Amino acid sequence: MQTKIKKRFKLTDTYILLIILFALFAFFSLVNRQFIAYNNISTMLKNMVLTGVLALGLTPLMIARGLDISFGNSISFTSVVMAVLFTVGGLNLWLSLVIGVLVATLIGFINGLLIEKFDLIPIILTLGTMAILQALALVVANTFTQTYSILMLTDQLYYFSTRTFLKIPLPLFVLIVFVAIFWFVLSKTKVGRTIYLIGANPKVAYLCGVKVTKVKILLYTFMGFIAGIGGVLIVALTGVGMSYHGSKLALPTLSAVLLGGISLMGGSGSVWGTLIGILIVTVIFNGLSVLNVPSYFIQLFQGLALITIVAAYEIRNKRALAF
Amino acid sequence: MNKKKKNDFLNTINPFNKNSMTPTLLIVYAFMILIFSLLNPLFVSIANIKSIMANLTISGIMAVGLTTVILTGNFDISVGSILGVSAIVCAKLYNIGNTYIPLPVVILAGIAAGTAIGAINGFLVTVVGINSIITTLGTLAVFRGLAFLYGTETAQIYYKPYVTMGRGYIFKDIPLTMVYFIVILLFMYLILRFTRFGRNVYQIGANSQAARLAGVSIKKTTFYTFIISGATAGIGGILLSSQLAFAQGEFGLGYEFKILTICVLAGISLAGGRGTLVGVLVATLILGSIANGLSLSKVPIEWRDAFEGLILIIAIMVDSIRVRRRALLRA
Repeated sequence: MQTKIKKRFKLTDTYILLIILFALFAFFSLVNRQFIAYNNISTMLKNMVLTGVLALGLTPLMIARGLDISFGNSISFTSVVMAVLFTVGGLNLWLSLVIGVLVATLIGFINGLLIEKFDLIPIILTLGTMAILQALALVVANTFTQTYSILMLTDQLYYFSTRTFLKIPLPLFVLIVFVAIFWFVLSKTKVGRTIYLIGANPKVAYLCGVKVTKVKILLYTFMGFIAGIGGVLIVALTGVGMSYHGSKLALPTLSAVLLGGISLMGGSGSVWGTLIGILIVTVIFNGLSVLNVPSYFIQLFQGLALITIVAAYEIRNKRALAF
Repeated sequence: MNKKKKNDFLNTINPFNKNSMTPTLLIVYAFMILIFSLLNPLFVSIANIKSIMANLTISGIMAVGLTTVILTGNFDISVGSILGVSAIVCAKLYNIGNTYIPLPVVILAGIAAGTAIGAINGFLVTVVGINSIITTLGTLAVFRGLAFLYGTETAQIYYKPYVTMGRGYIFKDIPLTMVYFIVILLFMYLILRFTRFGRNVYQIGANSQAARLAGVSIKKTTFYTFIISGATAGIGGILLSSQLAFAQGEFGLGYEFKILTICVLAGISLAGGRGTLVGVLVATLILGSIANGLSLSKVPIEWRDAFEGLILIIAIMVDSIRVRRRALLRA
C-alpha cells in the first residue's frame, strides 16, 4: 500500500513540472513573438547545452549528498588556462583543451579529497575554492596577457559550434549523448545504484561494503571533469577565454538541479527531472532576456525561483510526513 | 602547567570554551604584524592603523551578528545583500525631494530594513523548513537584484552628521566606528553569556535534540538569530554608506565570504555550539589587516581574494580537526 502511494507521487511530480514548462513556454511566446523565432530557439538550445552538461554532472554528486558550487569559477579558470596555452604558449589546440580538462579534473579531485578526508561542509569548502579559482583566473589572465579576455577563435571550434548533424546543432548532440549516458549509468548500472544508496543512507552503504569516501571523491573528481568539458564548450561557443565566464553559472545550474527534484537530503531524483529543470531554467532565463529585462533582475528571479522551488518541495514533503 | 594558567584566565572571561582558538589567533596576529611591518614599516604607522581600524569595524559588526546564526548551526550567506539594501534605503531617504528626515529615523530605517530581510530569512528557515544555506543563497540573489534595481543611479548623501557618524574620531585618534564595534561586541557578549536566550543559542548548536527536550523553542531562537544577523548587516549598511557618503547597488558584493571567514577563523565551530566573541574580535583584526598589509607589501590585488579563500579553507580544516579530536576525546 505504501509503495503504491509513493509511485503516484513521483508521476504527478514530473507531470507538474512538464505542465509548468509548457505554461512558461506558452507565456513567453505569447508575450513576445520573437521568443519562438528560429534564432532565439537556437540561442536557447546553445545556452541549454552549457547549463545542461553542468547540471547533469551535478546530479549524481547531489544524489550522493555532495555539493559543489565552485564549478562556475572552475570553468573560468580552465577557459583562461586553455586560451593562454593556445595563444601565448603556442600549443596545439587539442593539447591545450586536454590540459584544461585535466586541470579542472584535478581541482575537482582536490575538492573531493579535502571534503572527504577532513569531513568538511561541502558548500563552505567549495565557497573557498570558488574564491581562489576566481582570483587565479584573474591572475593567470593578467600575467600572460594584459587583458582578462583572450580570443581563441579557431576553425575547428567554430565548426563544432555551428555545424549541424541531422539538423541538430552539434553542441546539442553532445548534450543528448550526455543525457543518455547519465540516464543509463544512474538507473541501469550497479554504479548508479551505489550512488543512490550512498545518498540515501551513507552508514548503511558503508556497512554494505561500499567504499563511501572513495566513491564520493570520485564523484567530486567527475564533477571537476564535467567542469572541464564545460570550459571546452564555453570556449567553443563563445570563442574567448575570459576570467568572468562562469561566475554567474552556479546559481541557475543549482536551481535547475533542485527544480528537477534532486533532494538536498540525497538519495532521490532522476536525470529526467534534471532535464526538465534545465529546460525550465533556460526558458525562464531566455524569455526574460527577450523581454529586455536587465541582468540583475534576472538574478533576482533566479533567487526567487530557487526559494520557491525548494519551499514547495519542503512543504510537500512535510505534508507527506504529516502522519 | 602552562595550560592551567591559560585556562584560569580564559575561565573568567569565557567559560564556554576551554580550548578556545583565541591564544593561537593572538599568536598568529602578532606574527602577521611582525611580517608585514618587516616588509613595509608603514604598516605600523599610526595613520595606517587608524585606517585599518576604521575599515574593519563594518565586517566586525556583521561578524558579531553572523556568529549567533552559526552558533545555532545555520548559515546566513545573504548578509552582503542585506548591507546593500540597507545602504540604499538610507541613501534614498536623504534624496526624496526637500524633506528633512531626522537622523535617528534614517538609522532606524536602515536597521529595520536589515531586520525585515532577516525576518524573511528566519521565516523561510524555521516555518517553511528550507535548508538555511539554500534559503540565504536565494535571498542573496533576490535582494542583490533589488539593490541593483533601485541603486542604478548612485544616491549621494550630503548630510554632514550622517557622514561624521562613519568617519568621525573621538579623542582625535580612535575612530567612532571602532567605538560602535566594541559596544555592539560587548552587548552581544553579555547577551550570549548572561541571558537565557544566549544559553539557548549555544545549546541548540551543541545538541538540538537535548535543547528541544529541555524546552527550548528552537524555532523562536533560530528566528531571532536571523533577525540579529539581519540587523547587524543593516547597521553595516548604514555605516558603509555613511563612510563613503553614497550608496550603490554593488555595496556588500562579496562581503558574506569575508565575514564567514572571520567567523570560522574565530573558532565558531561550523557544527554549532562552540565559539566566543573574543575570537571574533581577534579574527576581525587579522582579516582587516591582511588586505591592508598585502597591498602595502605590493602583492597584486588578485592575490588578495585567493589569500582570503585560502584562509577560509585552512580555517575550516582546523575547525573540523578540532571537532574530530573533541569527539575522539569524548569517546
